[in-house]
Amino acid sequence: MSAFLEYVPGASPLHRMNPVAKLGAAALFAIACFCTSNLVFLAVLLVVGFALAASCGMVRQTIGLAKAVFAFSLILAIVQILTTPAGAVLVQLPWGYIGTGSLLAALTTVVRLVAAAIPLFLVFYVTKMNDVTNAVVKVLHVPYKYAFTFTSTIHFIPVFMNDMAGIMEAQTARGVEFDAGGIVKKVRLMVPLCVPLLVSSVRKTNSAAIAAEVRGFNLRTAASGYKEYPFAALDVAALAGSVVLVAVAVALGVLL
Amino acid sequence: MIEFKDVHASYDAALPILKGVSFAVERGEFVAFVGTNGAGKSTTMRLVNGLLKPDSGQVLVDGVPTTELKTSEFARTVGFLFQNPDRQICCNTVREELLFGFKALGMEGPEADARVDALIEDFGFDPNEDPFLMNRGARQLLALASIVVLAPPVVVLDEPTTGLDYRECVKVMDIVGRMHEGGATVIMVCHDMEVVADYAERCIVMSDGAVVDDGPTFEVLRNRATLERASLVPPQIVDVSLELTRLVPRLAGTAVAKANTVDEMAAAIVAASVGSVDEGGRR
Amino acid sequence: MIEIKDFAFQYREGTRPVVSGINLTIPDGAFVGITGAAGSGKSTLTYALNGIVPHCYPGDFYGSVVVDGLDTCETALTDLSRVVGSVCQDVDSQFVTSVVEDEVLYGLENFAVPRDQMEGRVAQALADMGIPDLRDRVISSLSGGQKQKVAIASILAMRPKVLVLDEPTAELDPASSRSVFELLAAYAREHGTTVVVVEQKIALLSQYADLLVIVDEGRIRFADAPADVLEHADELKRIGVNCPRSTTLMNRLRASGAYAGPAVRTVQEACEALVEVVA
Repeated sequence: MSAFLEYVPGASPLHRMNPVAKLGAAALFAIACFCTSNLVFLAVLLVVGFALAASCGMVRQTIGLAKAVFAFSLILAIVQILTTPAGAVLVQLPWGYIGTGSLLAALTTVVRLVAAAIPLFLVFYVTKMNDVTNAVVKVLHVPYKYAFTFTSTIHFIPVFMNDMAGIMEAQTARGVEFDAGGIVKKVRLMVPLCVPLLVSSVRKTNSAAIAAEVRGFNLRTAASGYKEYPFAALDVAALAGSVVLVAVAVALGVLL
Repeated sequence: MIEFKDVHASYDAALPILKGVSFAVERGEFVAFVGTNGAGKSTTMRLVNGLLKPDSGQVLVDGVPTTELKTSEFARTVGFLFQNPDRQICCNTVREELLFGFKALGMEGPEADARVDALIEDFGFDPNEDPFLMNRGARQLLALASIVVLAPPVVVLDEPTTGLDYRECVKVMDIVGRMHEGGATVIMVCHDMEVVADYAERCIVMSDGAVVDDGPTFEVLRNRATLERASLVPPQIVDVSLELTRLVPRLAGTAVAKANTVDEMAAAIVAASVGSVDEGGRR
Repeated sequence: MIEIKDFAFQYREGTRPVVSGINLTIPDGAFVGITGAAGSGKSTLTYALNGIVPHCYPGDFYGSVVVDGLDTCETALTDLSRVVGSVCQDVDSQFVTSVVEDEVLYGLENFAVPRDQMEGRVAQALADMGIPDLRDRVISSLSGGQKQKVAIASILAMRPKVLVLDEPTAELDPASSRSVFELLAAYAREHGTTVVVVEQKIALLSQYADLLVIVDEGRIRFADAPADVLEHADELKRIGVNCPRSTTLMNRLRASGAYAGPAVRTVQEACEALVEVVA
């Protein structure tokens, strides 16, 4: 079983695409989501996101991710419902009202966030971090040091999450009730555990830095990477398609 | 009592880890689980206190299926020492760490304080020391002490001696031995066959998610066929005993064939070398 | 050749030297095992070989450590790592990539190994560690023993003259531990690589090392052929190093006059000797 944001091997077109193209297209896709408030268009984008996930066998992970983003955006949605009086009045509030418009706005927010997040996260599941680093260095000429620092950070996310899970498990075995009560209680119980997590994280990143250094991290140049990352027709098409999505999003905003 | 009834378990439905494990451990036993990495030993340990629930079959602790209680509720009955003490230790001083278990179980009070203080005295800890500045062996000892102080009737140890040097290993195992003498049921996963030979009364061999042998420690450790199947080698003196009786057939039936410790084997060899002339004459 | 002369080191935050008065010469191609109780300074000794001390952990460095003509104190860490390959204790934090092939490529890319050699080196390093079939696997899906072999292969690919390993089998089961040592020894024999390995499992060191170094309280107590070091079983036990039981058995028999040969290192040697004793 793969952890959160951890590469899942495969040979789908998405797996094979150029990492830079994938990152670029995903970013453009997210921009398109934020450029429009057209619910129908956003729903289309959401469906496209899931179709992409299906094309690389990542539906299960994507549903999990969508749930997490949904939970987060729900908080924003509730705030929006309570603070955006619009449309036909449904519930009267002391400071305004909840209307059909408020619900619509909230729904738009939820769909937009979920739709924008899916391709971005998909990139991490179908692309090796190492390829992202190398491609960004080779194609965009980003200094290796920065690219490596960024991807190492992401590389460590599953490691730390695994550590946290291990710590919580160990504490549950000591009688700490992580397996009972709501999210608030869980968070309250987790706070003191940040100390051991931090200690092990600092140790790990320190030894990782040393390990990278003794393997010649400092010497790396754009030319020394083994793999080449040429742009294929699919990469160009994906980028062009994403640009079109942004254009449509903007156009819809202007026309409607 | 702990009972596994045809337990199947996994972390991912596609990858079964335990494929039908059954055994029962009676109160007061000292059982060692041996096998290679990935044989399913650690998974078995996590089932004992409900950290993992079986996919099918039953795990019963004192007759209660682990599926019926929350894991945190098993903490009173089952003390669990993890392989990595860093995951267990979370307080800023040794004393707080030892009190932490009582707090988590809602058992704070003068009695808890008294037990912690007695243990600090017994183990020779500095109550105000910061556990994060202690070395690996000392942290392992502290993690064990935080279980000892709660005096649970069952103790589960997942590779308690990994990463320790010889002295630390003896220290940790002697404490485990004392808990066992005090009546605790001890279940341990251990890769060091010498430690298994020295401390465990019963040994369960696992291979590929199943139990392949189960019995009194030295009977199991002398069964080369099952050990080989589980990619294990007997402890050295047992190995010497098996190999020597194979090389010198006349030693079969003598003390050499039964010796399990250095002392027994040294005495057996001396007897065999003195007696070799007589026996030779008889033949 | 590695030459350590009057070496002592005190970490900046320490109150006293963790190692001192170290003199040791390691010939090319030797398989050296270092052991000692926790906190004896054995890890620091290896840090001196690969330059982690003083380059990564600052402190007071006395004496000299020369590896293949390079003074580790004066040579930049990166230049030193062309000669000395290091496998960390915590292999999980050594990994920088998610797939085995990329991990083995990493050092080659950094050191700008010519492109046409890379493929051959990757394949060779994986073959040397007996894991060619793991090439496309995701590292996090591997077992502990497999991860250790990947970590070693990713260093071997850089073809270091000296290989330093810090407790490579600490987390492994006996079968995987043996397999790691077996592969290391075979590799070293074939390529003439000097291997320095810190390890708690003295039975493995005794069997595979040519030179066994015992460190006690920051000083080298013994540095000799394993059989010669194992003669001193009582002294070893006193400083927290336990001999293999077969060694203890034969030493016991010698004390009682039943056996007169040298100390044994393995069960097999013990049995060979015992066949004579009972004959």
